[in-house]
Amino acid sequence: MRSGLPVVVLAAAVLAAEQVSFLLVGSAALWLRGEQIAVGDVDVVIEPGEPNLFQLRGALLRLAIRPGEVPSVHRLRELSVTTAITSYGRVDCMLERGRRDWARLRRSAGYVTVADAPMLVASTADAWALRRLFGK
Amino acid sequence: MGERSGVGLVELAILEALDSRRAWHNRRPVKCLKLLLALEDGIGLARGYTYQVLTDLALPWKIPIPLIEPQGNFGSRGSDPPASPYYTEARLSRAGHVALAAERGEIAPVPIGLINGNTHRQGTRPPFRPASVVDAIRQVLRRPRITSRQILDIVGPPDFMTGCTITGDLAGFVAGQRTELGLQARVTVTDAAHIDARTTGAAGRGHMLPRSLQRDPSRPFIVLDNFPPYVSTDDIAVSIDKRAKEYAWKARHPELAEQTGLPIKDLANLTARDDYWFLCIPEDGTPAEMLRDQLLRVHGVTDYISVGLPRPLATIIRTWTRTHQHEDIEASLTALGDAL
Repeated sequence: MRSGLPVVVLAAAVLAAEQVSFLLVGSAALWLRGEQIAVGDVDVVIEPGEPNLFQLRGALLRLAIRPGEVPSVHRLRELSVTTAITSYGRVDCMLERGRRDWARLRRSAGYVTVADAPMLVASTADAWALRRLFGK
Repeated sequence: MGERSGVGLVELAILEALDSRRAWHNRRPVKCLKLLLALEDGIGLARGYTYQVLTDLALPWKIPIPLIEPQGNFGSRGSDPPASPYYTEARLSRAGHVALAAERGEIAPVPIGLINGNTHRQGTRPPFRPASVVDAIRQVLRRPRITSRQILDIVGPPDFMTGCTITGDLAGFVAGQRTELGLQARVTVTDAAHIDARTTGAAGRGHMLPRSLQRDPSRPFIVLDNFPPYVSTDDIAVSIDKRAKEYAWKARHPELAEQTGLPIKDLANLTARDDYWFLCIPEDGTPAEMLRDQLLRVHGVTDYISVGLPRPLATIIRTWTRTHQHEDIEASLTALGDAL
């Protein structure tokens, strides 16, 4: 892995260690794929499904600086995105994108290990495509 | 924004409303609720939003030139919010008067918007030191052939008022590029004598110091202060505390635990009045310098903000001065300087 890992990427590694099933997209994914890009936050596409939402909520409660703002599981089922400010920086959990595109994004994603936590990272093409989609 | 002061339109509406109620800096303030109701009835500004803007205009750690003088609890740099507008009052500050006078054409324009910036409301224009911007404009007036480099030397870097350190591509920023700046708290390795001196000062009195400080005064300690302005100090304390905790995954991912954990024995928030500072005691055997570097990687101890100017900074100052040089800018700058 490249040196100079942006601190906020560790938030994704902690989510992986917390056994949340997700796929890293956005600038952090592109950085891990070797692109020259500034990483301001972490964007993760969450695998849909009840057990994973429970896992996500538990992890966010431990990670978030304001746990009271973490939505309940039934809200997570409906929300498009939920954001948590953590001690590593901002984490945007893309729930709607997961409900729509998980299988497709998963097919072209691959594992990258950060510290000793392996996590799924979207392909460079998918990460760029999502960034364009959100007008970033 | 107001063309002659650079102050935002909502901010100007608030200043106008204060002025129309004669809430001048040397007169009685008005109840904020009355002001908010008048703005809602008059121009449809929702009071919840207006109150946020109003309180920001009074807070000296958010903007270098507060345009309002607050009376009552307008909130702190911790998590406590402003009191309900039933219980707070406001009036124009002297600088608020200057902004209104400039907007009405009673005096020449003033660069308040340029100085205050808008990063305190998630904008991309950071604040600058008022005296430096005023000085730079004066120099452009006096020496029309002054170089961009000389202007930038006078203005200096953005100034976030709390004394936090700024990191990042400042050269790119002043050249007009969009970039990220890191705002870093001061994290200092020190000793018990320093802590004693600080806690016996007025601001520190009444605090219970951690026992380990009293038991082992010879060990090094870490003091955190001069925090970035836009993260609450309470959130920073929680942030550090979260990293100091042990998590169930630690045994499965020792490398991650090493990179994310903070070997802290004790963290004390010794904030009193307007002096915000924490004392951090490293775990036994942890080199204080190592912990200091780790602390700087905690969100809030370092806060990243996106900044960008529409044009290079020197061009903005030169253009502003040339646009208004037919008016008596010198007098309006003096009025602004007197108001600070």
